[in-house]
Amino acid sequence: MLVPPHGGRLIDRQYEGAEAEEIIKQVKDCKLLTLNAREKNDLKMIGSGAMSPLEGFMPRADYESVIDLMHLFSGPVWSLPVVLSHKYGDPEVSTGDHVGLKDIEGTIWGDMQIEEVFEADLMAEADKTLGTTDDSHPGVMYLKSLSGKYIGGNIRSIRRRETESFQNYRLDPRETRVLFRAKGWKTAVAFQTRNPIHRAHEYIQKCAMEIVDGLLLHPLVGETQKGDIPAEVRMRCYEEILKDYYPRTRVAMSVFPAAMRYAGPKEAVFHAILRKNYGCSHFIVGRDHAGVGNFYGTYDAQVIFDQFDPDDLGIVPLKFEHAFYCSKCGGMATPKTCAHDGQYHVFLSGKKVRAMLKEGILPPPEFTRPEIAEILMEAARKGDN
Amino acid sequence: MKGLVIWIRTEEGSDESIMDELGREIKERGGRVEVFHSEAIENLGMEKNDSAKAVACAMLASHGVVVIASGAENPSINPGEKLEIRIIEESDLHHTDIHDSFVRGLELAGLVPPPKYYVHPDEEKEILRKLQDLGYLEE
Repeated sequence: MLVPPHGGRLIDRQYEGAEAEEIIKQVKDCKLLTLNAREKNDLKMIGSGAMSPLEGFMPRADYESVIDLMHLFSGPVWSLPVVLSHKYGDPEVSTGDHVGLKDIEGTIWGDMQIEEVFEADLMAEADKTLGTTDDSHPGVMYLKSLSGKYIGGNIRSIRRRETESFQNYRLDPRETRVLFRAKGWKTAVAFQTRNPIHRAHEYIQKCAMEIVDGLLLHPLVGETQKGDIPAEVRMRCYEEILKDYYPRTRVAMSVFPAAMRYAGPKEAVFHAILRKNYGCSHFIVGRDHAGVGNFYGTYDAQVIFDQFDPDDLGIVPLKFEHAFYCSKCGGMATPKTCAHDGQYHVFLSGKKVRAMLKEGILPPPEFTRPEIAEILMEAARKGDN
Repeated sequence: MKGLVIWIRTEEGSDESIMDELGREIKERGGRVEVFHSEAIENLGMEKNDSAKAVACAMLASHGVVVIASGAENPSINPGEKLEIRIIEESDLHHTDIHDSFVRGLELAGLVPPPKYYVHPDEEKEILRKLQDLGYLEE
């Protein structure tokens, strides 16, 4: 039996076809609220059950409980707020209103029964969730762009498959759960990255595969910041490496449609909980997971898991040190397993790799499989990274 | 789990199969269920009326059981520390959305367990087809 969803129930508030048309008809004469890109992603993920047990955007009790205590008001662990902000220019709304939810182009993506409209201290939120109020943190800048008024309440989301990128890789939590069962996996480990796959990632994934039934490669394709390798390029890298280097029966790849929040440790917990909803029993947490700049310590995203009761979390974090190729060992290793000096280690920073690609130099095979290096080189030539 | 009486308000002499269906659904979730058919009151040697039936249901439910019964009138019992009472019209239970929302309400109140599956078996078949189409699974 796969791990149960967070909170015990997989939420299903996603509609398509005739049911979606009905929602659109129902909100025709309602006030419409605007979703920004992150909120649109969140709406879809609440609807699909990826954010179970959330059934909507958080009202004040959940919001405050999450930023202060990392638990929902009803009890389950939850580390980051999932909120809808009131936008400048949107109509005023109040408790009890039934409203439509649209994107900036005016497309309806769902509706909401408003439970509460409340003021929030956004810099207190930044301090408590991101650990900083520094403008150079993208999460702080995001919060500074908001009005400070949040709207909480249950939602229904509309699925518009025709608008989705990576359509062949879009699996909702219900679908990954069915997939795992069909494959006979009782345990599965999720790996998330916003970077292209290198030998170090491959090593970590394969170490994890030794102790579970299956691996879910779950690259994040929601909104990221400038400078991150585009999702299309990362996906091409994964498609390529899966052809020859992984056993087909023990790996599945699907996209994770969340937007990055760059909240470091708290986002690592958030990512783990969401993967539990996808049916994963384990989650790989590497160095500086979901970090940005120097805002978080290298292992903060691993240490944070220690403060939760494993049963409350319900998913096992697999904590990995940074991996490298050691010429003396003759293989991949980490500081935990290698006895040799740094001079024997092949490890390149993302910045160094980008510089090499810019100069037309392929990263060494000890760092990146040649097939992947070619894809990155081609993308660099086109200006994709 | 707190005891629960689900009292279905019906017309006099109406079919009691709806109680069995609801009982089956809660049992499949792992709940302890007793469906209290009209003849049960006679078997207990009690007077055959809704008040006596309600009292018998309350006694049974207070042991942590979900008791489903029906009657034309509202039950003459009160909720307590060990007992919850939920009343629903039979006609409402025939509407899928009202039925689902009623059971979901019981689940959220901790009165019945959540479903054992996280994906409905009918939906699972559709998903399997999709996974085959996308190449995740062999035909």
